[in-house]
Amino acid sequence: MISQYSGISPKGDLILLQRIGEKLKGRSFLHINSTRAGGGVAEILHRMIPILKDLGIDARWEVIEGDERFFDITKKIHNSLQGNFENITEDMWQYHYEVNRRNAERLNLDADAVLIHDPQPAPLIEFRKSGKWIWRCHIDVSNPIKEVCDYLRRYCERYDSAIFSIAKFARAMGIDEFIIPPSIDPISEKNRELTDEEIQETLNKFQITKDRPIILQVSRFDRFKDPIGVIKAYRIVKKYNDCILVLAGSPATDDPEGEVVLNEVKEYAADDPDIHVLLLPPFSDKDINALQRRATVIIQKSIREGFGLTVSESLWKGKPVIGGATGGIPLQIVHGVTGFLVHSVEGAAFRVRQLLNNPEMTKRMGEKGREHVRKNFLITRQIRDYLSVWYAMENKGESVLEL
Amino acid sequence: MAEVMEPFEFKQCVSILKSTGKMAKSLRELRGVIAVVSDESIFHHTYQYFLKGHILEYTNDFAQWAGESLEGRALSEHLSNIDPYAFKNIDELRQELLNVIDSYLKSFPEPREAMPGDEFYFNETITLTFPVGIRAKNLAEFLIAVKYIDAGAIYYHFYEARIRLGVDDFSKWFEDSLGKKDLAERIMAIDPFMHSIEGIREYIAEAVDEEVKKDMGEIIQL
Repeated sequence: MISQYSGISPKGDLILLQRIGEKLKGRSFLHINSTRAGGGVAEILHRMIPILKDLGIDARWEVIEGDERFFDITKKIHNSLQGNFENITEDMWQYHYEVNRRNAERLNLDADAVLIHDPQPAPLIEFRKSGKWIWRCHIDVSNPIKEVCDYLRRYCERYDSAIFSIAKFARAMGIDEFIIPPSIDPISEKNRELTDEEIQETLNKFQITKDRPIILQVSRFDRFKDPIGVIKAYRIVKKYNDCILVLAGSPATDDPEGEVVLNEVKEYAADDPDIHVLLLPPFSDKDINALQRRATVIIQKSIREGFGLTVSESLWKGKPVIGGATGGIPLQIVHGVTGFLVHSVEGAAFRVRQLLNNPEMTKRMGEKGREHVRKNFLITRQIRDYLSVWYAMENKGESVLEL
Repeated sequence: MAEVMEPFEFKQCVSILKSTGKMAKSLRELRGVIAVVSDESIFHHTYQYFLKGHILEYTNDFAQWAGESLEGRALSEHLSNIDPYAFKNIDELRQELLNVIDSYLKSFPEPREAMPGDEFYFNETITLTFPVGIRAKNLAEFLIAVKYIDAGAIYYHFYEARIRLGVDDFSKWFEDSLGKKDLAERIMAIDPFMHSIEGIREYIAEAVDEEVKKDMGEIIQL
């Protein structure tokens, strides 16, 4: 499996993976999150577990179960950590804990290293049995609602270490905090090369014509992704350049707000025949891939963002990206080199027009973007980092490790 | 082509970022944290600057932030002139950073604060070093390898080596094992602060290529 990345990923990453793999061979590595479908975490786990196994590591992925009330509470926790006030009562926190307690009875938590993804399963630390426990935060927690952050912190501080996607999300919790950006898989269905026929198949399915430039945003229907702002930007662009807007996203089982936002977006798009709002079923990876490859310009106009992996996906396909200057987006968009960072609807519209009218610049930025992703945001680099953190935790106190 | 007893073994390093939990949004705060933050953090933001592979305007993270986020261009110029390899230890380097900032604060108006979200975050790293499985026994083999290896390997031998040996690994091998003093001097003459890693790779490859051609010419004449 790992050999499939040869010629794609940086050589050094592959060599280091093999070497750490040898050190950790046969040891168990458990990942736990809250959904098997939708969103970047599930997506990367689908790809990462087989690679870890191929390296000889006994990797497992478990998903906690919860009812509508649980996911409604965890969505509120998520929103609060991203800075939107939500009232979370003691009763709700107790329910959060209780659902985790039930999951702890059901799941086998025994492993040499346990990586808990995001706040939903964070209380599982109360039921740790053995091994090194790491809390992995994928959320933009740079401006959280303090009370919610403080409450959650009582769980997080009990972990051996934490991992955040970018430095400004780290919280000074008194445990080791590592910075590991997430990644994309270049050989997955979502990112592999496609033939012209495969791309056309997708366009036919959604009745998207090829006669005009396509502006695309791929993301969950979530207010933090500002889909309404994207439509506003498109309407400004449309005054100068005839184009099509495609807003595409999949629902996630842990996001009860998705449907509400989707309806708002449809209503705002009204009956403009050039706006395509696509609710894609989970695992629509090939269609997303095709849309990204066919798009002329790709937007990720998030207001808050954990990391925004769709940016790396788009850059990998040689498309420059216009993104909100938030979360992990500035790590992926080097302003003026791999795309543009924007701070407003007007800024997004201006940059879209710039790219639509300068195909040479668009091509050059796309090429730089692909190389930037190759060096920094491929799955092999992320696995390398996770295993390095685990190995470093086993050699605590050493700042230089020779392999 | 003559082979040496001591082949050049290419190694590489990869660094995993660790947060110190400390940040600064103004120059005074930056100064305050530089005074107390770990040696590893000062090391990361100065010596390890080139490991990032970005081509940026200045020569360390402090200078880059002062210029970009505080718009203190004059301060950036002063900070960029600090050569970390000129100091015996991190404390001396730390003191020089503080001296430059203090002197700036005395002579210039205080720069503005960074915009929210653009603060300076102090990190440190855990570094993993490993052989990449390539050994060069002569200059021709070295030339092929230096074109092929990852940027992280160039960093390890060209920058990181200065901390271990006071000189880059390449020059040392050229002189000590191959007896090529001129070539070593050409490599030592590269200003480490004025090039990207790719630029350094190109320069070394060019110099070695010329040397290989020269050697071949001498062999043919014999």
